[in-house]
Amino acid sequence: MKRIDGGLIDRGQILTFTFDGRNYIGHGGDTLASALLANGVQLMGRSFKYHRPRGVLTAGSEEPNALVELRSGARQEPNTRATVAELYDGLEARSQNRWPSLAVDALAVNDLAAPLLTAGFYYKTFMWPKAFWEKLYEPMIRRAAGLGALSMAPDPDGYDRGFLHADLLVIGGGAAGLAAALTAGRSGARVVLADEDFRLGGRMLAESQLLDGQPASDWVAQAEADLRRMDNVRILPRTTVFGVYDHGIHGAVERVGDHLADPGPVRQRLWRITAKRTVLAAGAMERPIAFADNDRPGIMLAGAMRAYLNRWAVAPEGRVAIFTCCDDGHRTALDLVARGVKVFAVIDSRAEAPRFGDYNVMRGAVVTGTQGRRALRTIEVTQSDGTSTWLECSALGVAGGWNPTLHLTGHHRSRPVWDATIAAFVPGQGGPAGLAAAGAAAGRGGCAAAMADGARVAGEALAALGMSVTGADLPATEDPPQAIAPLWHVPGKRRAWVDQQNDVTVKDIRLAHQENMVSVEHLKRWTTLGMATDQGKTANVTALAVMAELTGKSIPETGTTTYRPPFTPVSMGVLGSGDTGPGFRPRRLPPTHRWAEREGAVFVEVGPWMRAQYFPRAGETHWRQSVDREALAVRRDVGLCDVTTLGKIDVQGADAGAFLDRIYSNAMASLKVGRVRYGLMLREDGILYDDGTCARLAEDHYVVTTTTANAGPVFRNMEFARQALFPDMDVQLVSTTDAWAQIAVAGPKSRALLERIVDGFDLSSDAFPFMACAPLTVAGGLRARLFRISFSGELAYELAVPARYGGAVMARLMELGADLGVTPYGTEALAVLRIEKGHAAGAELNGQTTAAMLGLGRMVSVKKDAIGAVMSRRPGMAGDTRRLVGLRPVDAEERVVSGAHLFTEGAVRSMDTDEGWITSACYSPHLQTMIGLGFLKDGADRMDEVIVAANPLEGSEVRLKVVSAHFVDPEGDRPRD
Amino acid sequence: MTDLIPEPALGADAPMRREIGAVTLTERTDVGLASLALRAAASEPAPFGLILPGPGDSVVLQDKGAFWTGPGQWMIEGSENGDFAATVAAEAPGCSVTEQTDGWVVLDLVAPAEALGTLLERLVNLPPEALTPGKATRTLMHHMSVVLIRRSDSRLTVMGMRSLAGSLWHALEDTAARLA
Repeated sequence: MKRIDGGLIDRGQILTFTFDGRNYIGHGGDTLASALLANGVQLMGRSFKYHRPRGVLTAGSEEPNALVELRSGARQEPNTRATVAELYDGLEARSQNRWPSLAVDALAVNDLAAPLLTAGFYYKTFMWPKAFWEKLYEPMIRRAAGLGALSMAPDPDGYDRGFLHADLLVIGGGAAGLAAALTAGRSGARVVLADEDFRLGGRMLAESQLLDGQPASDWVAQAEADLRRMDNVRILPRTTVFGVYDHGIHGAVERVGDHLADPGPVRQRLWRITAKRTVLAAGAMERPIAFADNDRPGIMLAGAMRAYLNRWAVAPEGRVAIFTCCDDGHRTALDLVARGVKVFAVIDSRAEAPRFGDYNVMRGAVVTGTQGRRALRTIEVTQSDGTSTWLECSALGVAGGWNPTLHLTGHHRSRPVWDATIAAFVPGQGGPAGLAAAGAAAGRGGCAAAMADGARVAGEALAALGMSVTGADLPATEDPPQAIAPLWHVPGKRRAWVDQQNDVTVKDIRLAHQENMVSVEHLKRWTTLGMATDQGKTANVTALAVMAELTGKSIPETGTTTYRPPFTPVSMGVLGSGDTGPGFRPRRLPPTHRWAEREGAVFVEVGPWMRAQYFPRAGETHWRQSVDREALAVRRDVGLCDVTTLGKIDVQGADAGAFLDRIYSNAMASLKVGRVRYGLMLREDGILYDDGTCARLAEDHYVVTTTTANAGPVFRNMEFARQALFPDMDVQLVSTTDAWAQIAVAGPKSRALLERIVDGFDLSSDAFPFMACAPLTVAGGLRARLFRISFSGELAYELAVPARYGGAVMARLMELGADLGVTPYGTEALAVLRIEKGHAAGAELNGQTTAAMLGLGRMVSVKKDAIGAVMSRRPGMAGDTRRLVGLRPVDAEERVVSGAHLFTEGAVRSMDTDEGWITSACYSPHLQTMIGLGFLKDGADRMDEVIVAANPLEGSEVRLKVVSAHFVDPEGDRPRD
Repeated sequence: MTDLIPEPALGADAPMRREIGAVTLTERTDVGLASLALRAAASEPAPFGLILPGPGDSVVLQDKGAFWTGPGQWMIEGSENGDFAATVAAEAPGCSVTEQTDGWVVLDLVAPAEALGTLLERLVNLPPEALTPGKATRTLMHHMSVVLIRRSDSRLTVMGMRSLAGSLWHALEDTAARLA
């Protein structure tokens, strides 16, 4: 092909680029494909399976063949369609799926082995020996197939997201889309107009049709200028709406910087567009005709040939022919002739084919073969009388009719319906609510028809919203004839390609049919038709038609495939919208985080929280050394731990106590002011789901504490109960989790330490006994709350201060307690201490646990009702005899592993004989052995029995002695000290 | 008076402030917050003379303000951040008042109206009319629950959970940088 005059390119802009290392020149407005064609390059890629040489088939996003690797280094992007890659100065592209070069590809040998590589060959060929599949066959096939390669380097580009809200979203800026946008814009609606191309106009840019006597591009420019003047219209070029989701939500990707040598801070932006109504004006895609060897470079769709001619000023050279079954093919011939290109034949399969201009028409003829390895050289034309002739031909345009681009209408599982008058599927009923197709996307193509339809559909959408409609002035134009007698494939013995990207031929479809792939969905999976980057945009309907022919059914009876998002490939980077590194996900930091950083803490992710796991000290080389030291320090002296992450819910109101009685399984209304009680919360099905303390600060004021993991769910459930279950109760809830820094001060010297910071507050057990709470001030007047509660089993308190003072109070306590041996401890020591004490945590509350299993069955009060109480007493649940027990290895050196399952010694290891499992395990520095907690069948009655913990994953078994879960201070004297 | 030194939510020695292109991002530590909820028997109060606003709205009177947070619930804003709840409680007898000053990080975004509009379009899934001057709404921003209060065409307050201050700042900084 060669560059000719005219077109919609900016010849003043000279752009240099490379393809496979060779330098070329293009112009502003070129795509990589148009620029390569203008430079005489036809061979752009190799096919997926047979490595057949391939050129450009289309001029749009449906391109199956011309896939290249764009850019280099970390920015290398595989499988980029040259037909939509906007040319920029310095663009680097390479062909892919070939070795050593595009012209000479060693794997083209696959083509010779084609008879062995038919549909489903790998299912049949690589079955034996079975063990070879994963290790040998699959990796081998994957290496041989596949298209482009990833750079394997981190993506250096920036991505972004955004949200738009519109009365009307118009998808597609062609004839129908512009008419819809102009109508809605002039009517005052908020309009978003998105088009995947970098230039508005759609198919109008590719045609020579005049609008109001002017080139269509002039009218498009005027329409765009009009739209840009409207404040209520937002135009998004280079933006592909890739999916339609519920409630009028659309996903779209704007290619912000892909057309620039340096993509800048934002390469692509993910838009979430919420629209009250949507007009799908995505146009139509031309379909090929399958005939023998129809995949050679030089054979392209006739509409694409016309687009390259009119928009990009690239004309075919040498002997040019058109193969068509419809009037649209003649339109290409007419345009070619008008631009001085000699068309030696329009081969029209219709016996009564028309002739619109000065070109030769071969009526009732078909193309039955082609030759030319890297470029088309000759075609075989077979006349209706069966005579065949080989003719020299360097460029063949193929026109099989047009398929409406209706994909988005199918994203909610709506099935398209067959329209026999245009021989194409059109959008069916039941598509996304509020979305209507217009113009060619609805099967109402042709510039004039599409414009009228776009304006009408937009008007209807606005009317449905109760808006008044101001019509747009649409230009006068006449659509050319569009008659068609569909021809899907030309019968023959040689391979005729249906899906060029996946190398699926008519033969493959026939074979799949012979092998009983009756459903089109099976056909797709057996042959890979319609898969990969183009999702069969140029293949699906033809394949259906071929399948229909084979089954003797009609096309609509044969069915359709399912359309799913994304419409065209979407990069993973833009789906993440640039949220990488520290922005990957929100991170919650407790108030003492900076203090802990200064103390050299090692942090651990606990849900969204970063918590201090342990605080290594000089000389400690293993985490266990730090954790053991911290746990022992708490048991011996005093330790400090930030427990802010526990949820805190402020509960106020005249009915606060009565409300909490319904929330907790045990009584809270009877709790005295100034006291704290441990409480259990059940799910509605009676399973225990959260535990914590509840403090009563005043008659009508409580503070509920939840576990860290359940802070959100408990608040949500309480709010639901308040609003929906008990709306008559006078109770008000508000989360205060973040408002208070809460520090556990635990250990026999905790009182001594706290006495040094409280402002004249009596901490003696008489004045402030175990499970007391009080507001007070510390450190010279700082507002605070003190709770005498213990998770470690030691004398312990939790001190709450306004969050902004958390770090300062922690530092002050460390300073004041230096002589007491005060030690900061992290979540790891916290866990050791609670396991030693037999306190339940998340590992025990795993969604299968009842209060009785924790030995707390009596905490489900029968004197009052509470959420889940009745269900907890139902048969089956009430009879569960598994109980929380402590477990110690018989041989103190043995390991106890959480997750191991428990069996009676000597019993067969099976699901039937399984008697429970270990929930938590740790090394107890106090007992100098590993210990565990677990649920064991009849556990309460099996103290001192030796059982077996089996860990089949690691192939180990350990003998364990069943003991009380309270390894430390079983009488519970220490916290009451 | 305690000698302990409070730490701003973002953890620096002083409140953070950064100019990114046309956008100025400032951490506010001079805001007192207390939630106010009507009890069953209480009549709607007018604390500090504020006419408590309806859904999606905020009001300001001198150095006090309020925005709607739920049926019968508001957040009261003030410039005192010692025990603001006690002050509010005195103005709203019979109501449930809870101290919230430390629960939140308060960030002010100042930018020309157009830049602020673009920034909001990148940050939150809200139509522009939900955030005209005077509006206040709770929404999600980068997976974080936030309250947005449009003080004026060119000024927006973003309130988020204090523990998420760093992530929120990062999200705002990043988004503003992409505009710059």
